[in-house]
Amino acid sequence: MTDELQLIDAAKAGSVSAFADLVKSYRVRLLRFLLTRCASYADAEDAVQDTLIAAYRYLYSYDPRWRFSTWLYRIAIRKAQKLRSENVVEIGDLSDEEADPLLHCIAASDTANLWVSARRVLNDDVFTATWLRYAEDMSINDISKALDRSDSWTKVNLLRARRALETEMNRENNGSKVYG
Amino acid sequence: MDKIAKQLKDDAARIDVQISDELDRRILASLQGVTPEIPATDTARQRPATFWWASSLTGVAAALLIVAMINSQSQTETVPALAPEISPVIVATIPTIDWKAESAMLTRPLQQELEDLQEDLKKAEEKVKREIGL
Repeated sequence: MTDELQLIDAAKAGSVSAFADLVKSYRVRLLRFLLTRCASYADAEDAVQDTLIAAYRYLYSYDPRWRFSTWLYRIAIRKAQKLRSENVVEIGDLSDEEADPLLHCIAASDTANLWVSARRVLNDDVFTATWLRYAEDMSINDISKALDRSDSWTKVNLLRARRALETEMNRENNGSKVYG
Repeated sequence: MDKIAKQLKDDAARIDVQISDELDRRILASLQGVTPEIPATDTARQRPATFWWASSLTGVAAALLIVAMINSQSQTETVPALAPEISPVIVATIPTIDWKAESAMLTRPLQQELEDLQEDLKKAEEKVKREIGL
């Protein structure tokens, strides 16, 4: 039995400290992902908190056949979707560094961040699939589970996303259309 | 790892975020106030062993009661009156009909089979009429 499964069992039994240890390494990763999906840094933090609370509350429903990270991201994706549906500010409308939390967090970088372009040209689900694949190194199968999509959908859309991003990388002008 | 995959991975790592102490405290405080849900199936498993014995015994008792009730009803049931015998005089006046018509083999189309059957029926009628003197 791995350490993760032992922590999961302890957390299921009601140990908050075991759960805190379990999710410790995921918190920053979740915040980074949710930051790309939320309209403000505060919203992203709230989404991380909501995700972890929901994960702790419904830990009994976790199936050990899944990777824990897949299950956790599935909850995070739902929280992000819920937040976005409630939020009146569209992320695409946040064009300046002050307003856009993602731009704010990469402002120190001297080169353009491809995830900013990805957010502009990919739709929500395709962006998430791309993130899980390239930022989280998830397998196609895990991405499909996290997004509740078929493996074929994931493969096809990851390929299309790559092409769209390659085009975006090579493009000199800024005129673009939303992909997906 | 190809160029685009590498750039996506590097760019994701360059998104500068950190869990603040305030957020950390907030998360811990929230978790302390949450009770993990227990699946509904667990409550079924937590029933005492005597529950299943009691259920089984109740079922057996109910079955025995039903059997006993049915048996007691059949014992008290009155014997039905015999049907009145048919007078031998009437029986003698009714001619016996000797049905010797053979059934047609259904090997041909249905319309033809029907015609054959009707013909058989007609012959049988004529035979009956001859026998009873009509």
